[in-house]
Amino acid sequence: MSGYALPIKRLIKELSRFPGIGERTAARLANHILRASEEDARRLAESILDVKRKIRFCSVCFNLAEGEICEICADTARNRSVICIVEEPDSLIALEGSGEYQGVYHVLHGALSPLDGIGPEQLRIRELLDRVAGNVVEEVIVATNPSVAGETTALLLVKLLKERGIKMTRIALGVPVGGDLKYTDRMTLAKCLEFRRGV
Amino acid sequence: MNARTQYRTEAIVLRLLDYGESDLIVTFCTAEFGKLRGIAKGARRSRKRFANALEPFSRLQILFSRRRPESLALIESCDVLSHFPGIRANLEKTFTASYLIDLTDQFTPDDKNNEGLFQLLNDFLRLLEGGPATEGLLRFFEIRLLKLSGYDPVLDHCLVCKTPLGNEKAYHFNSGDGGLICTACRPDSPDALPVSLGTIRMLLMGREMEIDRLGRLFLSEQSAEESRRLLAHFIRHLLGRELKSVHVLNEIRRLGI
Repeated sequence: MSGYALPIKRLIKELSRFPGIGERTAARLANHILRASEEDARRLAESILDVKRKIRFCSVCFNLAEGEICEICADTARNRSVICIVEEPDSLIALEGSGEYQGVYHVLHGALSPLDGIGPEQLRIRELLDRVAGNVVEEVIVATNPSVAGETTALLLVKLLKERGIKMTRIALGVPVGGDLKYTDRMTLAKCLEFRRGV
Repeated sequence: MNARTQYRTEAIVLRLLDYGESDLIVTFCTAEFGKLRGIAKGARRSRKRFANALEPFSRLQILFSRRRPESLALIESCDVLSHFPGIRANLEKTFTASYLIDLTDQFTPDDKNNEGLFQLLNDFLRLLEGGPATEGLLRFFEIRLLKLSGYDPVLDHCLVCKTPLGNEKAYHFNSGDGGLICTACRPDSPDALPVSLGTIRMLLMGREMEIDRLGRLFLSEQSAEESRRLLAHFIRHLLGRELKSVHVLNEIRRLGI
C-alpha cells in the first residue's frame, strides 16, 4: 500500500475488512470511489450510515425492518394464521422470491448447534412460543435448512409446538427442478422418495 | 518445495468451521491420522463436489493431500459411508451424538495413529443409530474414552490404602487424584464425590464388556445419577472447563424436553 496518500490507505484498509475483499480488490474499489463524483460518494456513505441507524429487528418476526415492524408483518393482506420459520433473513428473501407464499414469517437467527454452543436460548424460540400463544395460528411451516443443524432445530420446534395442537409441516426435500437423477447424491434421492406425493 | 502426497482414509466428521466466502475447515477423526484438519474448497458454495457429505458425525471415505504432516490437508473428495439417518431423525440421539463428537474432539491428539478412539466413536454411533439414547451409553462411552486416551480413573482399589474394591459398600471419588478413596481413608476434600459400590462395578463392566453386549447393561436411577456426576466432574477437571455441547444439553433439559 506504500505510495498511496493517507486517506486512500485508510479507505483501502476499511474496505479490505469486508468478507471476500482482499487488499487488491479494496484498492480497486477505493480507486473507483476516488474517481466517482462527490455526490455518488456521499450517497454511498449515507446509505451505509442509514443501514446502521435505521435497520433493526422486526418486533414480531425478527426480520430486518426499517421501523418497529417489517413490511411483511405490516401488510394486512398477509395470512397471519400461517407462520413460516426460517434460520436467517436471507432464507426469507429467497422464499419471498418464489412469490408462492402469502403467510408471515419468524426468523430464528441461527440453528441449533451443540458443538458450537448454540442452544435454544441463542435463538428466537421463546419469542416464537409467545407469538404462537397469543395468536390464532393454524399452521407452522418449518423451513430451516436441510443440514444436521437445521434438521435438529426442526425436530425441536415440532416437539415444542405440536403439543399445542398446531399443524406442523416441513418443507419438501428432493431433486431440484431441471435436475438429473443420475447426478443427485444418495441422501437427496432417499429424501425425494420419502417426500414423494400422490399425483 | 515438497510435493503433495495423496492419502485415502475413513473419517468421521467432528467439527466444521466456515472459512472465507465459500470454504470449510473440517476436523475429522481418523484411525490412521488421529485428528485431521482439512480445507474443503468451495464446499459451501457448490454442493456437487462434497454432496451433503460434510455434516457432523457423518462417516466418510476421504481423499486428501498435503505437503507435510503438520500442514492443513486439502480435501479432494468425499464418499459417504453412513449419514447415520436414525440419529439425525431423532432429537435426543442427535444431542447425544453431538456430545460424543465433542468429547472425542477434546481427547483425540492431532495427527497420531489412533485406531482405538476412531473405532470407539464409530461403534457408539452405530449403537446409537440402532438403539435408544440411554444414560448408560453416554457413561460407557466416557469411561472407555478416558481409558483409551490415558486418563483411566482408578476404580478398582483405594488410592490411599490400596485395598481392592469390594470391602466397603460406598466410596468417594476424587477428581484431582483421579480415583477412589475408601471411607476409612476419606480426606476432608470438598472435591470428593460419594459413589456406591454398585455404580463402580457397573462402570467397570461398561468399560470392559464387548461393545455389542453393552445394551444389556441397565443403570439404575441411583447409578445413572452417581456415574453422571462422577464422570462429568472428572472430565471437567481434566479439560478445565465445561463442554459447549453440555451447556446446550442443559438448556434443552430446562425446556422440559
